[in-house]
Amino acid sequence: MSHIHFPDGVLPVWLWASGFVVAILVGGILLRLTKKEELTRRLPLLGMMAAIMVLGASVEIVPIAYHVNLTVFSGILLGPSLIFLATFVVNVILALFGHGGITVIGLNTLTLSIEGILGYYCFRFFWRVFRRLTPAIFLGTFIALLFSTFAMIGVVSLGTSHYQELIHQEGKGIFEFHLSKEKEEHHPGEAPEEKVNLRRFMAIVLPLGFIGWILEGVITALIARYIYRLRPDLLRLEKEVP
Amino acid sequence: MIQLSFLDYSAVEGKSFLHRLSPMLKIIGMLVVLFVIVTVRSLPGLFLLYVILLTLFFIARVPKKIFSLTLYPLIFAFLFIFLSGFQIFFILLIFLKVLCGSTGVVLLLASTPYPSIFSVLGRVLPSTFVMALFLTYRSVFILLTVLEETQHALYLRGGIQWKHPWRSLINISNGFGHLIIQGIDASEKMYESMTLRGFKGKIHYRGE
Repeated sequence: MSHIHFPDGVLPVWLWASGFVVAILVGGILLRLTKKEELTRRLPLLGMMAAIMVLGASVEIVPIAYHVNLTVFSGILLGPSLIFLATFVVNVILALFGHGGITVIGLNTLTLSIEGILGYYCFRFFWRVFRRLTPAIFLGTFIALLFSTFAMIGVVSLGTSHYQELIHQEGKGIFEFHLSKEKEEHHPGEAPEEKVNLRRFMAIVLPLGFIGWILEGVITALIARYIYRLRPDLLRLEKEVP
Repeated sequence: MIQLSFLDYSAVEGKSFLHRLSPMLKIIGMLVVLFVIVTVRSLPGLFLLYVILLTLFFIARVPKKIFSLTLYPLIFAFLFIFLSGFQIFFILLIFLKVLCGSTGVVLLLASTPYPSIFSVLGRVLPSTFVMALFLTYRSVFILLTVLEETQHALYLRGGIQWKHPWRSLINISNGFGHLIIQGIDASEKMYESMTLRGFKGKIHYRGE
């Protein structure tokens, strides 16, 4: 749910451009901190987990317009630095299929990686507390999704003034085309124009999101349980058992 | 995502003028489309761009089956109807921006084989990133094959039944779990064969 499904040209340039700058900076720092051999060795796994995230995102749960991300689970398997690169790649591929705009890739990478990185640390924390896989994964996923959804809402709210500008400026812009419509004059004292309704947006996103967080938490916990039965080594939990 | 292989088939087998055009030119063209989408805020301007892209789509003889892919992002654009408070100008503006972007990208992918796109990207972006992108794209095809087999197996074990939501949820999760394990096995084999072929952290594309 934390994925921003905004098309290109909706968010203000300063916002998406800073998203790219921050994502590139964070990505650069995290990659510098990762050993080159480790990166080369785990790159095929990164590609595979990113592909699973892409496939997960393409399975739409129609009634609530929700899709699973599997970012938290990928974060647990890949670790915090590689999940950042994985989310960057996932967002590029998703943007190529119209799943969010190309200009929003930077912002989407930041919000999705919050989910992956936070999910990784929350899962490790809850594992130490409960020593039980299902609640640790469920709570880790739920909290990570909650935070990243609020990060997404924060990003959306930053562009509010820009949406209002878009709504109320018919025909304005860098390039103007007046093929069919005369520009209307606005006089002082006219009825105030309707503002962008961010509360309405949140009233739709949060309840649907809540269902989605629970659903994804359950699915991630069930996936983890299945994998723990067959390949426990993948979760790298043995060394943490006292 | 299932149509990905069909998209790839169209990119490799197509013979139109758009297919023969250099990948670099097509990527520059896509950047121009993106620039127009970001800067133009008038309905006639965006409508003109959409008509041009549609004309290119049909002149390039891209299979009509792929056209539905260009409409897919509209699902997400519906949220804007609520965000705008039902302002018709804004809704049309968003829908046109979405359609122009998706048609441009589908045109690029349906007329350019993906190794050619990655080869161009490799000249301007960091090699680690392009390699990760290439491996992900490749892995999607591997996983789609596994997914097809998994779907058959799920179907034989009850599949998805709305009458039994919990059992369905377990089946879906086991399906994803199976996909992940198979995917990780495939990635380990892929790494071994890449190392055997002399992989040292960089993939070289044909023509380099």
